[in-house]
Amino acid sequence: MRLPREDLFWRIEPLLGSVERPSRYLNHEWGAIEEQDGPFHACVMYPDIYDVGVPNLGLAILYDELNRLKGVSCERAYLPWVDMCSLMRENSIPLLSLETSSPVASFDLVGISLAHELVCTNVIEALDLAGITLLAEERDEDEPIVIAGGPSAWNAEPLAPIFDAILLGDGERAVSRIALTVRDARTEGVPRTEVLRRLSGLEGVYVPSLYEVVIDETSTRWGYAVPKTGSDAPAIIRKHCIAHLKETEPVAQRIVPYLSVVQDRLTVEILRGCARGCRFCQAGMTYRPVRERPADQVLEAVERGLQTSGYDECCLSSLSTTDHSQCAGMLHELHENLSGKGIRVSIPSQRLDSFGVDMASAARSSRKAGLTFAPEAGSQRLRDVINKNVTDENMDSAARNAFSNGYRRMKLYFMMGLHTETDDDLRGIARMAERVVGIGREMLGPKSKVTVALSASVFVPKCHTPFQWEGQLPLEETHRRQRVMLEAATDRAVRISYHDAETSLVEGALSKMGRKGFDLVLAAWRHGCRFDAWTDQFDFESWRQAATDIGLDLEDIACERFDLDARLPWDHTSPGVSKGYLQREWRRALEGMTTEDCTMGSCTGCGVCPTLHVSNDLAGERA
Amino acid sequence: MSTLSPGACRLRVRYAKDGRLAHLGHLEVMGTIMRSVRRAGLPFEVSEGFARRMRIQFSQALPVGASSVAEYYDLLLPEPIDAAQALEELRASTPSALAPTAAKLLPRRMPALEAWANRATWDVEIACTTDEAQAFPSELARTRERGYLDFMRGDKPRHLELGPTLVSCEVLSSACGLRLALDTRTTEQGSLRPAVLVQAVMGRPPVRVCRLGQWHEAEDGNLLDPMA
Ligand code: SF4
Repeated sequence: MRLPREDLFWRIEPLLGSVERPSRYLNHEWGAIEEQDGPFHACVMYPDIYDVGVPNLGLAILYDELNRLKGVSCERAYLPWVDMCSLMRENSIPLLSLETSSPVASFDLVGISLAHELVCTNVIEALDLAGITLLAEERDEDEPIVIAGGPSAWNAEPLAPIFDAILLGDGERAVSRIALTVRDARTEGVPRTEVLRRLSGLEGVYVPSLYEVVIDETSTRWGYAVPKTGSDAPAIIRKHCIAHLKETEPVAQRIVPYLSVVQDRLTVEILRGCARGCRFCQAGMTYRPVRERPADQVLEAVERGLQTSGYDECCLSSLSTTDHSQCAGMLHELHENLSGKGIRVSIPSQRLDSFGVDMASAARSSRKAGLTFAPEAGSQRLRDVINKNVTDENMDSAARNAFSNGYRRMKLYFMMGLHTETDDDLRGIARMAERVVGIGREMLGPKSKVTVALSASVFVPKCHTPFQWEGQLPLEETHRRQRVMLEAATDRAVRISYHDAETSLVEGALSKMGRKGFDLVLAAWRHGCRFDAWTDQFDFESWRQAATDIGLDLEDIACERFDLDARLPWDHTSPGVSKGYLQREWRRALEGMTTEDCTMGSCTGCGVCPTLHVSNDLAGERA
Repeated sequence: MSTLSPGACRLRVRYAKDGRLAHLGHLEVMGTIMRSVRRAGLPFEVSEGFARRMRIQFSQALPVGASSVAEYYDLLLPEPIDAAQALEELRASTPSALAPTAAKLLPRRMPALEAWANRATWDVEIACTTDEAQAFPSELARTRERGYLDFMRGDKPRHLELGPTLVSCEVLSSACGLRLALDTRTTEQGSLRPAVLVQAVMGRPPVRVCRLGQWHEAEDGNLLDPMA
């Protein structure tokens, strides 16, 4: 139901004294855009709490761009924490936007960011709290057009029945086109179905209701989506891709929250895309090609962003910051410009070699927090399978460099359950961590307090990667392998932590099952599941029960392998990387053959550039 | 300890906490003000060590939910600046509900604000029935006679003597029930929060608490204004 647009802050204000961190609900932060005159009103929503959603750069980009459009206003909404959700339901208060405290159900356009699979139940929770009809096809004519986007939009099938449209790829410009298309269609007074038809004609826009799922002998049991008869929707929706990052606003993040949030700092995106080609990595495949923001634009943006926000930390963000061709020069200059001002520069994680450590030192990253590396696998053989092109020597030289630069702590990220993994590979993880500790002791003395925190996540096969056909490990086997690794680590300076195998199993199931996943998500939500990414809220038994309710088994879904030639539930969406390339990469993985990074060597034929008419856009020569 | 530069001083700023920002916690107010100072482009000293932070001191934490017209901070400066201009710049860079209302340069060597400003006055509004309003003065007298409060702060039990911490409490009537003009003192043992007192007397918290002023109580009992 479309609700009237009115300021309802007076209704939540009396509740603020009874909830955790009331500042989540106050709005009017520095940088928030208070004039929201419209007349076209959009609301971007992050389906988790404010503290997690505010730092999200993708949403900040859309907020900034939409508010620059003449005649269009854009507000934000987040999912209230469980205490506030309950109080709002008790008092029949719908989900509100932040800027004007208007019901989310009063907006013309609602855009939801999908950061990962585990936000699925939160999306339902948010729409339910908002009072927006859950199924797109059942929405009233005048209800908001509900769209989605973000990294996990590549696997939006489990939520497809909810969304009127899904944006694949870069949000810049595409979001304006969507807003203007909806506005113009609404002004003309055309029916909702026509609004959606027009949206489906835009680059990168997928309108699920125009497709039906077919299951046949060419597909997996989850089928594949084809345009409905009579619809002129494209058979394959290719992502929207901006050619040059330098043509986008570098300081998109303008809101400075009152409460301390997860990443409480200025973020400047210095590069988009990564062509290293790790075969498990969805972002590496879906964000291609590589587009660098030139150093002079980054430096200007950092200065301006710090001045307008007042932050005392700035993060140069990307999938692989230290790969930027001008990284060293930029960090050096930032250090010069910012020294004595009490401002820290951070880079998200370090490239696993000596250069990576040099860059961390140049950013003056905290010695106390230590350095973070991701070798991902414990043996050279397995690293070749996953195309993680780092060697034991890279690790050793990074460790030596780090210890000689004053670092005492290191965090190493690994993945377990990768294809062809053996127990010896798992023991290799422990050996690698212990070798790093050994290097530290050798350099700094046996009593030095060198520690290595080893974190092992469970491999979840993701769509649009060379491992998309792979199955996940059964729960019991994951637990057994965790024990193998744990028992292999005898040095007390190595601390091991795992990702929860059960959470990963749910993520794995949702990553495989296409549109049928919606039944699972809905059943789980009805069992009370929400905030599944929060360990204290995640309830595996309810998920298991939800699967049973619809006659399925989570393990059976997540562990299933797909035939290399099968039509997959997401084949109608394309990030530009061809299926043939992914199949080739899968075969090379089995043979342990690595594939080089096209930004440092020659084109390896992934297909993105010719398909999307773009190319790698580097600001200099990469080393 | 680093040596002070000859011009080192402090900029004392009085600011308000108003409207919906009354719901901010003390750490959130501190963070917001430090960012406002950076946005204003004022010079400030940074601490030594690896994590180099702005050197700034705040007056005593205001409870979450309480507003105020008299909060203070001292920004430690390497050299004197024009206080009137700094006030203008701070006004432009601070959310209006935390707007600075006065600024003054003071010598560098002074006691830290938090301990120094040990007296406060409060305006407290209580929603209640006429019967409850009539019973309030005698209930308050009974609580004062007992001489102490036992209460929980978070999940920790606390004990506070009322004699030294409650200087005076005048009961006035108001449209919605009662209004208290409260005068409190911070001692080494702690400080009395208006909401804690009202909760102890009435069994529920007040609807509105506003800090009207903060002072330093000199040994002779005179009250010194932080901006004097
Ligand atoms: S098409 Fe070639 S150059 Fe372009 S991203 Fe793919 S591998 Fe790299």
